[in-house]
Amino acid sequence: MSNGLLEIFDPKAPPKPIGIDLGTTNSLVAYVKNDKPVTIRDCDQIALVPSVVHYGNGKGVVVGRHAQTLAAEHPRETIVSVKRFVGRGADDPETRRLGPYEFAERRDGEPNVVKFRVRDRVLTPVEVSADILRALKRQAEDELRSVGGAVITVPAYFDDAQRQATKDAGRLAGLDVLRLLNEPTAAALAYGLDKKVNGKFAVYDLGGGTFDITILVLDDGVFQVKSTGGDSALGGDDMDRALAEEIFRLGGRDSKDASPSEVRVVLDLARKVKHGLTEAGIVDVELPFAGARNASFTRARFDQLIEPLLARTGVACRRALRDAQVKPDDLDGVILVGGATRVPAVRTYVEKTFGKKPLADIDPDEVVALGAAIQANILAGQSTDEVLLLDVIPLSLGIEVGGGVVDRILPRNTTTPAGARATYTTQEDNQTGFEIHVVQGERELAADCRSLAKFTLKGIPPMAAGLARLEVTFRVDADGLLSVHAREERTGLEQTIEVKPSYGLDDDTVEQMLLDAIDHGEEDLAKRKLAEARIEAHRVVTSTKKSLAADPDLLEPGEREKIEAALSALEEAAKLEDARRITLRIDDLDAATKDFAGRRMNRAIAKAIEGQKVESVEETVEHAKGVEEAHAWRS
Amino acid sequence: MNPFQLLGTEQRFDLDLAALEKTHRELSRALHPDKFAASTSSERRAALEKAAAVNEAWRVLRDPIKRAEALFRLHDVAVGEDKEPKPSPMFLMEVMEQREELAEARAKKDLAKVGKLGEAMRAKAKATEMKLSNGFAAGTDPESLLPLLGELRFYKRFIEEVDAIEEEAAS
Repeated sequence: MSNGLLEIFDPKAPPKPIGIDLGTTNSLVAYVKNDKPVTIRDCDQIALVPSVVHYGNGKGVVVGRHAQTLAAEHPRETIVSVKRFVGRGADDPETRRLGPYEFAERRDGEPNVVKFRVRDRVLTPVEVSADILRALKRQAEDELRSVGGAVITVPAYFDDAQRQATKDAGRLAGLDVLRLLNEPTAAALAYGLDKKVNGKFAVYDLGGGTFDITILVLDDGVFQVKSTGGDSALGGDDMDRALAEEIFRLGGRDSKDASPSEVRVVLDLARKVKHGLTEAGIVDVELPFAGARNASFTRARFDQLIEPLLARTGVACRRALRDAQVKPDDLDGVILVGGATRVPAVRTYVEKTFGKKPLADIDPDEVVALGAAIQANILAGQSTDEVLLLDVIPLSLGIEVGGGVVDRILPRNTTTPAGARATYTTQEDNQTGFEIHVVQGERELAADCRSLAKFTLKGIPPMAAGLARLEVTFRVDADGLLSVHAREERTGLEQTIEVKPSYGLDDDTVEQMLLDAIDHGEEDLAKRKLAEARIEAHRVVTSTKKSLAADPDLLEPGEREKIEAALSALEEAAKLEDARRITLRIDDLDAATKDFAGRRMNRAIAKAIEGQKVESVEETVEHAKGVEEAHAWRS
Repeated sequence: MNPFQLLGTEQRFDLDLAALEKTHRELSRALHPDKFAASTSSERRAALEKAAAVNEAWRVLRDPIKRAEALFRLHDVAVGEDKEPKPSPMFLMEVMEQREELAEARAKKDLAKVGKLGEAMRAKAKATEMKLSNGFAAGTDPESLLPLLGELRFYKRFIEEVDAIEEEAAS
C-alpha cells in the first residue's frame, strides 16, 4: 500500500474506474478516492511516468524512468515522445524532425502509418503508446487491485486519425476505454468541481509536444466548450530543441552531423537547462562534447530562443477568442495546464495576452489526469455530481468535390455529438460509382487538408448525369470520432464506414496486434473475449430491464414479449462458453429494443422541453410578482 | 428534420435565443451519450442520434442565415445561391464600393477604418435581419423576402473578410 498502512481489501468492491493522461513527455493515472481525485504514485511516491519506452533484446519492454536512463545509450531502441508520431503518416514533416530514430519503409498497399525500426521489430506508435498504457494500468492495479473502465485524455486539437489511434492503443493495452476526453476540458472539470466556479474561462495547455487553447463556459455543472484551437506539434519539446541547437552551436558543432546518441544526450541536457532556468536566472553546464568546456545559459537568452514558439501560441489564442466571440476582458480566469507552463516566460506571455494573472493552483502536470478520473467515475455511475461536458470538433470536416475543393460539412467548433448531411449528384452520364474523400482541416483545397478516408460507393445503375443523388451523412460521437454513411437516393444503395483512416490501422490489424501481444495467443484471447462478452451481456440485461420498468406504457402490443424472449435467450447464452453466441444474442436484443429506445428518447426530449416551458412560465410569474411588489412598494 | 419543432419553439424568425440556449442545454442534459454510458447499445445509439439532431437544430436556429433558410424551406421556397434571385444592381454597386474601401484600408494598414467598415456592415446586417423578421411575422409572401437572404450572405462574407484582415494584422 502506498501510504504504508495496511488497508483491508474488499473483494466485492466494484472495479475502480481510472483516468489516464497520456502525455508527450509524461503520463499519469488517477482515480477518485473518497470523492477526491488523486494521482496514483509508484513505490518511490512519484506520479509522473516518463512517456519513454525501451525495447530490449527479445520481448523485454521497459517503461518510464528506467527507460529514460537507457535512452542515451540506446537511442534507437528507446522511443521518447511517441505521442508526436501518433496518427501521423510516414511522410509527415513532423515525423522527420530532430530525433535519433530509424523508420521502416512503407510497403505498397500498407496504410500510411509511421513505423519505428527497433532491433528486429517494426513498431507503430499505437503499439508503443499501448506499452505506456499497460505500464500505467499495472501501476493502478498495484494500488487498486481491480481496475475498471478508463478515460484517456487527448489534446483538443487532435484530429480524427490521432484520436482513433489513441483509442486503438487503449484497446491494445487491454483497457475498457469509456471515453476519450479533451485535455483542456478535463482540466476545467478538475478546476470547476473543486472551486465550484461559474463563468467564462480560457484553458492554456502547453504540454511536451502539443498546444491547446480552449474557451469554455462553466454554468452549474455544464462545461460548454465555445471554441478550441492549437497546434498538435508545438510544446516543451520544441523549447528543448531550440536549446539543443544552441548547445551544438556553442560546442562548435552542427546538429546535422551528430550521432543519434549525441542528439539524445544534448536533448536531455537541454531539458535540464530548461528546468534549471525555471528557478534560477542563470545555469552553468558542461558541454557534452570532446574537449568539453563550460557554458552559461541565462534566462534572458532562453526567453529570446522561445519567443517565436510563444508567438505561435498567441495566434491560436486570438483565433480561439474570436471564434468564441469573447474578449480577454470577458474572461473570469485563465487556467494553466501542462508542464511547459512552469516556464516563467510562458506565464508572463499568458498574462500579457489575456490581461490577467493565470490560475495554477492545481499542479499543471496533474490537473488533466485528475479531471479524467472524475469523468471516469461519472461515466461508471459512481458519482453523484451532475456534470455535463459539451465539447466541440477542433477542425472542420468535409468532402472533396469538383476541382479538389473541400465542401465543409461540419465546421470547426461544432458541438459534439454532431451530425450533418449533404447531397451530391453525378457529374457524368452512366457514372456507376461515387468516390468519397473525407478530409479534415481549414484549407480550401483537399490536398492541403488531412485526408481521413477514401471510399467508393459502387453499383449505381447507369443514369444520365445529375440524376443519381448521393446523400452523405457525417456523425461525430462524444469522443470526437467520425463515422460516415453514404446512400444513393434513387436505388437505396447504402454503405456505412467507420472512418477507416488513410493514416490508421484497420480493425483486423488491431485484432492481430492484440493476438500478438498476448503471450499464449488464441486461448487467452478467447478467454478474454468471453469475459468481456459476459460483462457486456450483464450490462445490457440490467439496463434493458430498467428501461422496461421505467416506461412500460411506451411498449406496443407484443413488444414486451419480443424483448423478453430476446432477454432470456441472452441470459441463457451467457451461461455457455461461447463469446460469439453471446454477441449474437446481444445484437438480437439490440434489434428488439431499437424502436422502444427511440420512443424513450423522444419522451426524454418532450420532458426536457416541457420542463423548460414550465420554468419560463414560472419566471414570467416571478417577474410579474416582482413588478407587482415593486408597485406596491412604491404606492 | 424541423429544427423549430425539435427544440419545441414556434416557427418564427425572431426567437428568444437566450431561452432557446437554455432549452438546448436541458435537452443536452437529457440526451448526451455520457448519460447513457451504462445503457444498451440501442439506447446509446438512439441518444447519440437525437443529441446530434438537437445540436444541429440549435446550430441552425442560432445562426440568422441558417434560421432564415430553414424558414424558407418550411414555406416550400428553395434556397441556395443558385436558386435565389440575383441581388439588385443598386445593392451590388453599394457592396462593391464598400469592398473597394476595405481593400484600400487594408493596403494602408488603416485598422481603425477596417473596424469601422465592419461595424457599418454589422449594423446593415442587423437592419436586414429586422426586415426579414417583420416580413415573416406579417405573413408577407416569402418569395418576395428572398432577396433579403441574399443580402445577408453578402454582409456575412464582408464581415468575415474584415475578421480575416484583423486577424492577419494581429499575428
